[in-house]
Amino acid sequence: MLTDFLLLMKQELLLVAIIFILVFIKLGSKERSNESLLNAINILLLINLIAGIFNSQTGTLFGDMFNTNQLFIFEKNILNFGVLIISLQSYDWLKKHKHLIEFYLLLLSALLGMFLMLSSNNLLMFYLALELSTIPIAALCNFDLEKRKSSEAAFKMIISSAFSSGLLLLGISFFYGTTGTLNFAEIPATLNGNALQIFSFVLLIAGFGFKISAVPFHLWTADVYEGSPISVTSFLSVISKGAVVFVLVSVLYKVFEPLSEYWYTILFLLSLLTMIIGNLFALRQQNMKRFLAFSSIAQVGFILIGISGQSLEGTASVVFFILIYILSNLAAFGVINLVSSKCDKESIGDYKGFYKSNPQLTWVLTIALFSLAGIPPTAGFFGKFFLLMAGAAKNNYLLITVAALNMVIALYYYLRVIKAMFMDANENPIEKIKIPFQPKLAMIICVAGIIILGIYSNCYQYIFSLIK
Amino acid sequence: MGVTAILFWILSSLALLSAIMIVVSKNPVHSVLWLILVFFAISGHYLLLNAQFLAIVNIIVYAGAIMVLFLYVLMLIDLKKIVDPQRSLWIKLVGVATGCCLLLVLIAALSKADQTTALTQTIGGNIGLVENLGKILFSEYLVPFEISSILFLSAMVGAVVIGKK
Repeated sequence: MLTDFLLLMKQELLLVAIIFILVFIKLGSKERSNESLLNAINILLLINLIAGIFNSQTGTLFGDMFNTNQLFIFEKNILNFGVLIISLQSYDWLKKHKHLIEFYLLLLSALLGMFLMLSSNNLLMFYLALELSTIPIAALCNFDLEKRKSSEAAFKMIISSAFSSGLLLLGISFFYGTTGTLNFAEIPATLNGNALQIFSFVLLIAGFGFKISAVPFHLWTADVYEGSPISVTSFLSVISKGAVVFVLVSVLYKVFEPLSEYWYTILFLLSLLTMIIGNLFALRQQNMKRFLAFSSIAQVGFILIGISGQSLEGTASVVFFILIYILSNLAAFGVINLVSSKCDKESIGDYKGFYKSNPQLTWVLTIALFSLAGIPPTAGFFGKFFLLMAGAAKNNYLLITVAALNMVIALYYYLRVIKAMFMDANENPIEKIKIPFQPKLAMIICVAGIIILGIYSNCYQYIFSLIK
Repeated sequence: MGVTAILFWILSSLALLSAIMIVVSKNPVHSVLWLILVFFAISGHYLLLNAQFLAIVNIIVYAGAIMVLFLYVLMLIDLKKIVDPQRSLWIKLVGVATGCCLLLVLIAALSKADQTTALTQTIGGNIGLVENLGKILFSEYLVPFEISSILFLSAMVGAVVIGKK
């Protein structure tokens, strides 16, 4: 019994252990330098990642409240990996920050919330875990303590997430009224598609839509991404989005399977709107962070196409895409993070002539943007390809055509940044940046991942084998 | 019509009336006072459902603690300086239209809903009594209970960091 508990909840328990170690370090009286703390935390996160990979078992705990399977474990490992990369990248920023331990405390609590959300088997547990994964992030948005914009971002984040949680909770309570159960295993049998169930289901989707910032629930995204510190922005745009997408897939496919004709229509409309509006707004952005915010909205549109496929390929392609998306977006954010922390420049115009002073960083950013745009040798192409393949299984060619057109628009604005870096002249370019070891390591891992996943195809088959 | 039904109608109309008054009244302090009345009416509903614990907690937490917070905020900001933002006629019209749509959808959905499962759960149930609630909270719902402790820890840490600057 105890070994079951320890093994099944291994990843969650490790995170809780790290959180408590951090609390005790904070409460202790000994003064430690930020560098040594950061190195220790990075090693702990590495141990956490490695321990998650080995000896994974499947089963349920606590009377069906918590369940885990190979796919969930793999998804949690992806999230662990992303957090480790973000932690390495923020080394330079955190070195000078006075609330270093609190940063990790909040970051890891949010990650714990995501793990529990993935494993939850009950609507109540799911709701609590979702709250646990958003409230700490709202506080994290405020971590550029002296900047006004950062406070504004935190405020917008907490208001919009409270509003979306309210919608979600209203949906859950109506749902409980009509089904009489909160357990995921019992819900499908009680779904009969009556009006109140569909209405509450729409509310649930709206709650999800806020978290993954699908249009028309995206209005908070750009402001929050722009105001938050870059490490938090990258966490928001890849980790928290990825986690909610994972949950959305498993909830839609397993729990709301009887309502699939309704949610196919919803996903169809949402993905059309999300792709088109995300791309059109990304065209006119001048700030790098806002630009990546809208590009990440557009990527969500593609993910929704994959989910709408409603098949094993749908799940596999979404998980595969999120993995690639984490690698490419984090590579891009890594470069922007360095530039911002060294010379405080964030607009696309500042990146003119970037190649002359920093060729290595330019190549990293270029490969990342190519992968986000979906250009063949990089992994991004295969990610998008599998998503569209999964979506095409429904024979809805309008959706696929619009998606293909949107990829062309997206290519234009990604290339605009690349052109600025390589070709445009600039009187006062960004000076030569010395890359510290940790961010360099993170960038090497990301770029290597983008290229290897583009050439070596076994990863997709591995994910596919986990589902069956 | 039994006593319960009469009480239900009185409480419901009281709750609706005060909810409308919150939105309509110009003075924020009056809005807060009407809000307290809403909370009391809803607590009365909980009592009718035999959920005594929930009724008391609702009064202590919402009518007590949260209302005091509201009043503090109102006390700290200068109400005279803040002018009521004049919204354009279009925005008002759109607001009314969407609100009416939501009302329509809700009424239509509720009128067709199959409520049998929900009715069996609440009528004559003793689930809301403190003893039963405690038992279920520490057996079936133990994990969510423990998760909420981490949620509060992280919320506290976040609040302290934002407050300390």
